[in-house]
Amino acid sequence: MGRGGFSGVGVGLRRSHLERVAALPGHGVPFWETCPENVIGEGGRNHRLARAVLERDAVLTHGLSLSVGGFDAWDEDYLGGLRAFLLETGTPWHSEHLCFTSVDGSSLHELLPLPFTREAVAHTVARVKELQARLPVPLILENITYYAELGQGEMDEAAFITEVLEGADSGWLLDINNVYVNALNFGFDPREWLARMPLDRVVQMHIAGHRTFGDLTLDTHGAEVADPVIELMQWALARLGRPVPVLLERDNHIPDLEVLLAERGRIQEAYDAVLAVPGRARA
Amino acid sequence: MPEPMLLPLQRTLAALVLEPEGEATAFEGLAPGHRRALDRWRERLGTYRELARLSLVEPLEDMFPVLRALLETEGAWEGAVDAFLGARCLSSPHYRDIAPTFLGWLVESRWGQDRWPFLAELAHFELLEAVVARLPDQEPPPVDGREPLRAARIVLDPTAQVIAYAHAVHRAQVDAPAPPRETTCLLAFRDAEGEARILELTEATAALLVQAQAGTLGEVVDRLGIPDFPAVETLLRDLVDRGAIAGFALPA
Repeated sequence: MGRGGFSGVGVGLRRSHLERVAALPGHGVPFWETCPENVIGEGGRNHRLARAVLERDAVLTHGLSLSVGGFDAWDEDYLGGLRAFLLETGTPWHSEHLCFTSVDGSSLHELLPLPFTREAVAHTVARVKELQARLPVPLILENITYYAELGQGEMDEAAFITEVLEGADSGWLLDINNVYVNALNFGFDPREWLARMPLDRVVQMHIAGHRTFGDLTLDTHGAEVADPVIELMQWALARLGRPVPVLLERDNHIPDLEVLLAERGRIQEAYDAVLAVPGRARA
Repeated sequence: MPEPMLLPLQRTLAALVLEPEGEATAFEGLAPGHRRALDRWRERLGTYRELARLSLVEPLEDMFPVLRALLETEGAWEGAVDAFLGARCLSSPHYRDIAPTFLGWLVESRWGQDRWPFLAELAHFELLEAVVARLPDQEPPPVDGREPLRAARIVLDPTAQVIAYAHAVHRAQVDAPAPPRETTCLLAFRDAEGEARILELTEATAALLVQAQAGTLGEVVDRLGIPDFPAVETLLRDLVDRGAIAGFALPA
């Protein structure tokens, strides 16, 4: 089992699937991932369904708006609600993105890249440590997709992520699709990139679909996961040699639950295949 | 020690996304190395502008289809979006708050309302069902019973709202988005299943529902000159059954 008893391939819990999931206790999904921003402070029918699923099933939480690398003061209302939510769900950790999402009090609702500078590392490490002290479970950080570097870097992305993770002593939510998309957009080898990274810090993985428009590939979460991304997940799992939980993300063009569960099954097979071969798990 | 540049760089990207002329953002105030680096990525920074604006505009398009249809017909939708984003009033971490923040900005700024005086009412109505559907759950308020006695006051369900508009915004549609001037009263509430419902009320019924929360039903019916108390009882029992009225409270 992975850390906290979580392993296998989970699925993001989507509003359009709530009714079906709530009525389907034998769905076979080992865990769901939910975004606290979509649950905290809500009520009504969908909220009741979501709560019922979250009380019944295992859940990991994944936030969008803490603006870990930003400068705005923490939203105390949100943090208070988040703390309570994390305890209620029993999640063993909470993940956020290594990025900024708000500036001067304006929420941009977009995962924006930090510059790869020593100043950004020091600032972000300090902010992550603050959050770690205020949340009831460990905060882990996700590598994002980015399309342009924000200013002149003093290191590359791999070094930037490593320095933040190690400086803050934080776990890593390794988003496999984001590595793959960044590799396409910036022309590097994703396996070489991963081989440089502190894989011992990986606590969870994300996997998702993407789409290419001209010479730019976007992390759309709106399509099936491409085979090379699944292969990269297998490569990373083999390198890790341990069954960290993998979460299938789907936020756009959300298909029927059965279609999504079939895709989850396909990725679970790939997951099982690599972890069932002891020699391969140490490749 | 190099000059701190992290915040200026973040502000540059925020301006690129939010300002109406963001594409033309000059990277003034940044160190030459950062300016050159950003210039190199100018096209891809444009992608950030497009993506971020798309994700901010999508909830507006979803929530305000009629308002958008009206303004698009008049070539003003993009101007409204530009003015809204440029006002930088989006502060909530919740994506669901984007559309309500747009309504708040419309009310405060009075944008476009010299020309379309019903704009804020239309936006309010388009948002109403979604907001009522997800209002936080609350404990039922204390009541003495479910029978509408003359000596009792009405206790509405915590999700119920009586709303009066000066325009018939509930009849506006994408292909006829300008509502006529006509007093319109609505009751929005959540039923027992947690689903949002909206009922049209007569002005007298709306007045009854509002005033009989403070005064007794008997007093209010007499004040409003409603002659048929049995009809009022039938109406109120129906609203209890539907979930709009939590019950009735008797004087202590």
